[in-house]
Amino acid sequence: IFRTTEELSAHGALSPQTRRNLRVSHCLAAKVPPPKKPREKVEIPGLEMVTYGDRMHYVPGLAKPVYPPWEMSFKDPRYYRSPPAQEMALYKDKPCYVFNQRTSILEGVRQAAWLTKTHVNPGLLPHLISLAAKPENQLPDQDERVQNAIKHARFWDTTEPRPRKEKYSNALLLNLLHLCASLQPTHPAVGRRILAENYSLAATWKRGEDLFQIRGQNGLLHCSMDPLPQICGEQEVLETSDRVLESFYPVSPTIDLQQVSVYKEEMNYTGFRGEYPYPHAHTLYFLETSDPNCQLRPEQFRAKMIMFTFGNALARAHKLYGVRPHSLLECPITVQAVGTNGRIFQFLVFQLNTTDLSGDDGIKNQAWLDEDVELYDFAKVRPFIKRKEVKVPAGLAGYKPETFGKFLALYLHGAV
Amino acid sequence: MALSCLTRALRSLTLSKPALLSSQAPVAQLKLGTLVSSTISQCRGFLTTASLKQNRTYWKQRDKYTTRPMGMKKTGGRDHTGRIRTRGIGGGHKQKYRWVDFQRLRYEPNKEGQPFEEKVVEVRYDPCRSADIALIAGGNRKRWIIATEKMQAGDIIKTSGVIGRMAVSANEGDAYPLGALPVGTLVNNLEVQPGKGSQYIRAAGTSGVLLRKVNGTAIVQLPSKQQVQVLETCIVTVGRVSNIDHNKRIIGKAGRNRWLGIRPSSGLWKRKGGWAGRKIKPLPPMKSFINLPLISTI
Repeated sequence: IFRTTEELSAHGALSPQTRRNLRVSHCLAAKVPPPKKPREKVEIPGLEMVTYGDRMHYVPGLAKPVYPPWEMSFKDPRYYRSPPAQEMALYKDKPCYVFNQRTSILEGVRQAAWLTKTHVNPGLLPHLISLAAKPENQLPDQDERVQNAIKHARFWDTTEPRPRKEKYSNALLLNLLHLCASLQPTHPAVGRRILAENYSLAATWKRGEDLFQIRGQNGLLHCSMDPLPQICGEQEVLETSDRVLESFYPVSPTIDLQQVSVYKEEMNYTGFRGEYPYPHAHTLYFLETSDPNCQLRPEQFRAKMIMFTFGNALARAHKLYGVRPHSLLECPITVQAVGTNGRIFQFLVFQLNTTDLSGDDGIKNQAWLDEDVELYDFAKVRPFIKRKEVKVPAGLAGYKPETFGKFLALYLHGAV
Repeated sequence: MALSCLTRALRSLTLSKPALLSSQAPVAQLKLGTLVSSTISQCRGFLTTASLKQNRTYWKQRDKYTTRPMGMKKTGGRDHTGRIRTRGIGGGHKQKYRWVDFQRLRYEPNKEGQPFEEKVVEVRYDPCRSADIALIAGGNRKRWIIATEKMQAGDIIKTSGVIGRMAVSANEGDAYPLGALPVGTLVNNLEVQPGKGSQYIRAAGTSGVLLRKVNGTAIVQLPSKQQVQVLETCIVTVGRVSNIDHNKRIIGKAGRNRWLGIRPSSGLWKRKGGWAGRKIKPLPPMKSFINLPLISTI
C-alpha cells in the first residue's frame, strides 16, 4: 500500500523516505523564536533597480517598485495638507515667544513682571479703596444683597445637591457685576460701559533680543467710552527707573512660553475692529478654567492676569501712539483686572508708562496687586462635622464686607 | 491564507495526481523552505492552537521629551510571546510614567560645550522607581532627574563636562566627569560610556565610590562591591541617591505587596539545592568598559 501511495503522491515528492503526514503542531517549540528584523535594504545611488513593476505581479528576487506619492490633480479643501513650517510664507528664522491663555509660567509673578518690565507693588492704593468707603458710593443694604448673591451662586442655582465650581464662580461674578451696575441711576458714567466676552487680543513687543507676543481670548472685558484716569503721579513714575527688575537665574525668562517660527510681525489687535464705541479697556475679569490640561496654580493665575492686562494696555498704546517705542507716554494707560475662583479674589491695577521695553533700565510700568482676598470663609451645603461636633455650620460663614468694597471701588473707578 | 493552507494539506491526501504547473513547484519549494526541513513532506502543517503572533506593543511612542506624566501599560511579567518570563509580577496600583532624563550632560540646542546650572523646582515621589525624582529647570527647558539625598526645592545644581587639572570640590547634586572629581567621592548615576546616559547606581540610598584614577580611566566601586573601569569623561552625579530609608521600610501585610505589583510566590515547599545558603566567594574580576586597541592589528 505504501509503495502505491508513494508513486501517486502529489507535489513532486522525490526522496524514497518521504512520508505523507499532516503535521498538526501543538506548539512549534518550547521557545518561540525572537522577532526577526527585516533585511536591511541598501541604497546604491546610480544603480538602477530591476523591479517587478512592469510584470504587474510579485516576482521573487526583484525589487519592490517605488512609485511617486499620488497627489490630487485639483484643489479640494477637504483634503488639504498644510506645508511644513519652513515652506510657509510667514516663516522666520528668529523664533517668537507667545503667551496664550493656557500658558502656565514657572516663576509666576516675577517672570511676568520681567517680561512686561513692571514693578509690582503689594496691595492696592489707599485712595482707590477709600472710594468704596464713602456712603454715596455704597449700595442700599449692601451686605445683605451681597450675601444673597453669594447664596444664590453657591446654593440656589442648581437642581443638583451642589453646583460645580465653574458654574458657581461664573454665577457669583455676574451677580456681583449686576449689583455694581445697579448704581447707574446715581453714577451716570457707569452707563457708558459695556461687557464683552470671547474677544481675541494680540500684542507684540521686543524685550532685549527676543520678540514676544501675547495672544488669546482671556476673559470678560468691561470696556468704556472714557479712559481710566492716571493712578500714579509723575514723580513716582520717574522714580521707577531706579528700581531693578528681579532676575531668576538660572531659569531663562522665556521658559514655558510657546516658541513659534511662523508668525506675523507687528501683530497688534485690541479685539475690536474700526470705530468701536467703547474702545478703552476698563476691567478684565478672569475665572479659573475647567480644562484639566491647564490648571493654573494661584501664582500662575496672577501672572496670567498681569500678562493679559499688560497686553490690553499695550495694544491700546500701539493704536494711539504707533508701534515705535516711547520711553515715557504722555498719558499713561491704566487697566484693571479682577480674578476669582469663586471664593478668593485677586485685584490688579496696571499702569502702562512706557512702550520702550527692550532694555532693562529706564522707566518701568507699575502694577498694584492685592493677592488672595477672601470674600467669605465657608459656604457649605452640608455642615462639616468632626467627632460629633459641628465645626462649620451649613450655609454661608465668615463673610468679609471689605472685599466687596474693593470690588466696588475698582468698578466705580473712573465713574465717580 | 488559512484556507489555502488547509486546501494544500488536504490536496496532498488525494490519490490522483493533479496537473502541477512547472512554475508553481519552485514557488512552493521556496515558501515551505523556511518552516519545514527538506526531508519532511512538502505540505506545511497548519496550526490548531491560538495565534502565535508576537504581541509586544510598546506604550512609549513619543520621541520628544516631555515632563508631563504619561499613562503606562503593565506587562505582568509577560514577554513578546505572551508567556510569563518573570514570575511574581502583576496587578498593583496604576502608575503614570515620568520620563527621567538620565543623560545629565545634555546641552540646550544653542549652548553646546559650556557648563551650566539648573534650579530644582520640586522633589517628589516616583511610583516607577525606589528613588525620588526632582524637576529641574534651566534655560528654556525643564526635565526630571533622579534626586540625591539632600536635594530640596530651590537648590542650584551644576553640570559640567570639563576636566580641569585640579580636582573640583563638588557639592552634592552636581554632575561632573569622573576625571574632575577627587578620589573617594560618593557618586551615583554612573555612565559606562560617555554620552550614553546613566545605567548604574540609580536605586534609593545607593552610592558608588571613586577608587582611583588611572591615566584616562577611572575605577568606581558599585554598591555590590564590584569594581568597574570606565573612561574618565563619563558623567556622574555626586552624593547618595534620595530616599535612603527605603530598605528599612516594613511592608506590614500581604496586601501592600500586592499594591506594589508583586504577586505571591508559589506556596509549594521545594527542597533547596546547592544554590541556596550563604556563599563566601572572592570578588569577580574588575569589569572594564573601555575598548582597548587590539594588540595584533593584522
